[in-house]
Amino acid sequence: MQIRDYILRRLMVLPILIIGTSIIVFALTRIGGSPVGIYLSHEMTPAQVAEIEARFHLDEPVPVQYFYWISGVVRGDLGWSGVAAAPVAEVFPNKLAATMELAIASGLVAVALGIALGTIAGARRNRLPDHIIRIVAVSGASMPMFWFAILLLIVFWVNLGWFPLGRSDPNIFASIAHPTGLYTIDAILAGSFKAFVDAIWHLVLPAVALGYGATAIIARMMRSSLVEELQEDYVDAARAKGLPERLVLRRHARRNALIPTVTVIGLTFGFLLQGTVVAEIVFRWPGIGRWMAAAVLRGDQATIMIYVMFTSILFLVVNLVVDVVYAYLDRRVVLGE
Amino acid sequence: MLSQNWPAVQRLTGKVTHAASTNTRRAYRNKQLVLRSGLLRGWAPLAVLFVSLAIAPAALAQNVKNPGTLVHAADDEPTTLDPAQVESGEGGETVILQVYERLLEFSSNGPDLIPGLATKVPSVSNGLISADGMTYTFPIREGVTFHDGSPLTADDVKFSWDRVMTMSLPESAADTLNDIVESTKVKDPFTFEVTLQEPSASFLNGTVVAMVSSIVSQEAVGANGGVTAGEPNTFMATNMAGTGPYKFNTWNRNENLTLDINENYWGENAKLNVRIEIGAEPDVRVLGLRAGDFDTIETDPSFIADLKGAEGVNIHTGGLLLEPIHIGFNLNIPDGTLPSEDTIPADFFHDPRIRQAFNHAFDYNAFLNGPLAGFGDFNTHYIPRGIFGHDSSAPSYTKQDKAKAEALFREAGYWDKGFSVSVITEESNLFADAALVMKDSLERLNPKFRINVLAVAEAVFDDAHAQNPVEFAMWVKNADPFADPHPYMHSYQHPDGEWGEVHGFSKGYKDPERVAKLIDDASVELDPAKRAALYAELQRVLYEDPMWLIAAQEGVAMAYRGWVKGFAMQPLWPRPSVKFALFDK
Amino acid sequence: MVDSPNTDQIYLQTRDSAWRVRAQRGWELTRTMLANPTTVIGLTIVVLLILMALSAPWITEPNTPDAYQMPRDWSAVRVPPGSPGHILGTTNRGGDVLYGVIWGARTSLKLSLMVVSLTVVIGVVIGSVAGFTGGRVDEVLMRIVDVFLSIPELIFALAIAAVLGPSFTNIILALVVVFWVKYARIMRSQIIRIKQSEYIDAARVIGDSKLRIYLRDILPNSFTPVMVQATLDMGNIVLVGATLSFIGLSEAGIAEWGVLVSEGQAGISAGRWWAPTFPGLMVFLWALAFNLVGDGLRDVFDPRTESAR
Repeated sequence: MQIRDYILRRLMVLPILIIGTSIIVFALTRIGGSPVGIYLSHEMTPAQVAEIEARFHLDEPVPVQYFYWISGVVRGDLGWSGVAAAPVAEVFPNKLAATMELAIASGLVAVALGIALGTIAGARRNRLPDHIIRIVAVSGASMPMFWFAILLLIVFWVNLGWFPLGRSDPNIFASIAHPTGLYTIDAILAGSFKAFVDAIWHLVLPAVALGYGATAIIARMMRSSLVEELQEDYVDAARAKGLPERLVLRRHARRNALIPTVTVIGLTFGFLLQGTVVAEIVFRWPGIGRWMAAAVLRGDQATIMIYVMFTSILFLVVNLVVDVVYAYLDRRVVLGE
Repeated sequence: MLSQNWPAVQRLTGKVTHAASTNTRRAYRNKQLVLRSGLLRGWAPLAVLFVSLAIAPAALAQNVKNPGTLVHAADDEPTTLDPAQVESGEGGETVILQVYERLLEFSSNGPDLIPGLATKVPSVSNGLISADGMTYTFPIREGVTFHDGSPLTADDVKFSWDRVMTMSLPESAADTLNDIVESTKVKDPFTFEVTLQEPSASFLNGTVVAMVSSIVSQEAVGANGGVTAGEPNTFMATNMAGTGPYKFNTWNRNENLTLDINENYWGENAKLNVRIEIGAEPDVRVLGLRAGDFDTIETDPSFIADLKGAEGVNIHTGGLLLEPIHIGFNLNIPDGTLPSEDTIPADFFHDPRIRQAFNHAFDYNAFLNGPLAGFGDFNTHYIPRGIFGHDSSAPSYTKQDKAKAEALFREAGYWDKGFSVSVITEESNLFADAALVMKDSLERLNPKFRINVLAVAEAVFDDAHAQNPVEFAMWVKNADPFADPHPYMHSYQHPDGEWGEVHGFSKGYKDPERVAKLIDDASVELDPAKRAALYAELQRVLYEDPMWLIAAQEGVAMAYRGWVKGFAMQPLWPRPSVKFALFDK
Repeated sequence: MVDSPNTDQIYLQTRDSAWRVRAQRGWELTRTMLANPTTVIGLTIVVLLILMALSAPWITEPNTPDAYQMPRDWSAVRVPPGSPGHILGTTNRGGDVLYGVIWGARTSLKLSLMVVSLTVVIGVVIGSVAGFTGGRVDEVLMRIVDVFLSIPELIFALAIAAVLGPSFTNIILALVVVFWVKYARIMRSQIIRIKQSEYIDAARVIGDSKLRIYLRDILPNSFTPVMVQATLDMGNIVLVGATLSFIGLSEAGIAEWGVLVSEGQAGISAGRWWAPTFPGLMVFLWALAFNLVGDGLRDVFDPRTESAR
């Protein structure tokens, strides 16, 4: 009952937050002045500029422009991207799939490694492995990703030639159908081993670069919650029963310590999402992050607005899901005891 | 596996300092730890996956990559593929050059015109130019088919030109036709005739060969939206129906654009399919070329310099790009619009001594040897080197002359009181470098001079630059490329020309009528010797009365894999000045 | 609360002892903190970095007329480390990398101090108003905070900086807009917590003005979580700021680490590793040091929330 109320309340607030975000985003982009620049070329005369302004309704007052924009968005018209030279709505899905694939891959790496490292550190609290892992974790959170990614690129692409750049070998990519847009999944669906290897092979470097910071976040959370759990009475009880330490850790403490870690995995998703901007720039990944970066540098406001809106909504929804999952898990734990 | 990376880093960088080494070792230790704990905790499959993936590609041999396909890493993404919409100097021109053809083309070496879709180059002597220089006749090549299967006739030619002039899109180069062509006519299915508004010395070199004058399939346009005045054609912006050695295949935005060999080409077939990779950072293009993933790359000259001696990489140099990098003076500054740091009066640049002083103060060597890494040349004048009419014996600003600059600033009364002025530029490219060189030149000349470099996003710059009047005192950019001196002179020097009017040149020229008359006369002078003399005189006048500070003319330089055969560049072709159909590998 | 004659005295005693307890506890906590080796390492690096930033004009001759601009020697572009006059080499524009590293510390200190002090003030004021006033005002302010928190911070900062145009000042502005919300949240929850404690009730009973209660009782008591967050942000702000600069939103030619990595990135393919390596390392050290100290602070002040993020 409580959980249902909680979800309902959160769901009711969600539209308010989304509308608030849209107003902030639109107001922000208009502070910088008219977005007409992206539609212009160097050599245009003022009369030509006026023609273009009229073409895009940019001669109207700002609130009117907001309603033009928001009603367009509701109808699925997301505006024209000067950077992609195409309607935003047309370019968005494919790029989003590329970004999601990267974010999910790094997320998987981060969750697996983060939990493993956090467990080791927590189980050997204040001993050498713990100190080392804490430093690794803190350094992960402090690592400028743009720098780490460049280092990876130099070593593994330029020098060793182990991993390629970009998202795919265009020929292999073109050889299979793309119903989902996620290259790895599409490769499996097409039953093409070659494409699958190509997909994974391209994913490794960006996923590692992006996943490092997230690994750190998860490892830290896992460690501290494990440390807490290991001090609980039920752990002592289990030990008293004569259960080996390994099983105490695996069956009891770690399972419970995972619960708060779930929350942090939600936070990590936001981290990964924004990290894709830098990772995609460095690794030339054709996702929405690199698109956003180009849009930012070239003043492509239609793209910036939709990107910020979309990531915010996604962030909100993921956080909501995580909170619900956490509340659910937490209750079960309480009931279980 | 990871320890092998360490010598690799050393190989790459040559020297390694202590700081770098501790850091990399730390990263290495972290990684080892990650792996070991992964195995310990039952994540072995993950680790095995990583290891196997790492080893598999290493086994691949380093022979010719991507056989059968030329991979070109481009600087810009096209905004449109429609010749009627493309802006001169923009990324789309690269593709249009390969897929569409024009009546005439520049040969791959030298400034000579060769037949394209026309079978003869018109001249007065072969009778295809009328004696009064008003009518041009083009015999059209027979047996040519468009990529959509329709045959080429003179109707298509007339349609293509008329279409550009009807649409007359503000972003396009439609004025190249509009300003010169009076009427077009189909004399018979394979003869096309053009009547000009007045005799023009630049019609063949400047108009017929321009990308905007490309011939498109009438059938394809008719079936896909037709022609509407003032409206872009969305089909043509993203599709192509030409006659060239390449057919348009796909355009994955922000990723790549692919062209296929046109097997039914009327001339010699292309040998390689083409994939144009879009949007890689300049250094990534360089890395990709080194790794063999890219065959030809566009990049700034300083990167080309870095590639000297790289294994398997050839560098082509020679010739100059036709886009002088200029710093503009605003003689038309509206009241109260300058940034608040600026202390100059609105008529600051009306004084020719100040414009001369800036030209003397600029450290040309620093710009040429620093940002351009020596690839380029000093440009004496707004008629670039390599263009008809350029007179290299005319006096020029090619050396920093601090004494003259000081004397002129003293005369003009600004040496002792100093000034502060902002210059607007696009961020992180050669223009920003030129602005910084100017900043350093002026500020080191006299600490009372302050130059504020406003490096802004491209769109912001375009917006600011498109204002009339421009709300900044100075800006840095380059010229659009042309193949004839007249468009340069008219756009950039004529007091009533496109920019002369916006920037208020008539307020600054000592004798605006004389400049105007020289430019107008030269444009209709059909005798090359007399025409050259007029331009030579203009160059002398404009040395005394400069309206621009021309930092340099960038050199043509391109890096390509050694396995690319038949490499050739022609600066008169749009950037990157290559025709892929000539290449093999 | 019963209106007894003693209330006044109890309150004063409580408050006095609160101060004394706080001082004593502070000393103990400092000792606990210094017992943690990672915190000490962090603190040492922080001190060194700040010393470097403060003494920059004495270590290297300031560039004229603007010391925050890289000194550009156009005749010595791209020289490797160890060259005469350029111990760490030069950039593509002839900027001395050592100068960039040292003055970059000063730029970073300027950036982080400005952003942290502005965001703390804004956040504390808004959080206090919300927590203290409660009701409708609280509701509206917290919804605004929620909206701000619903946009991932780097993306938000990126969008703002993009709109304002590339400049160092605009990066500061963008970071302020993004980073104040956390302080508002922290402050509000602290105030709501403290408001319910007994000695505040006592203060209210003896008729202290709201402002007085706020300044003397509530503000000092909510200080520690704000300080922990501020320490962590000293590092994070430089990290996010450098990322914005790397993407290309800073000023041309300034001595800032992210700008240097961005400019230097281009030369890596040619083996010019020094231009991005040293400044990137500095960003890492800076963020690492403040994170270590921040973690240390959090461990001792509030062990239960350790590593929450």
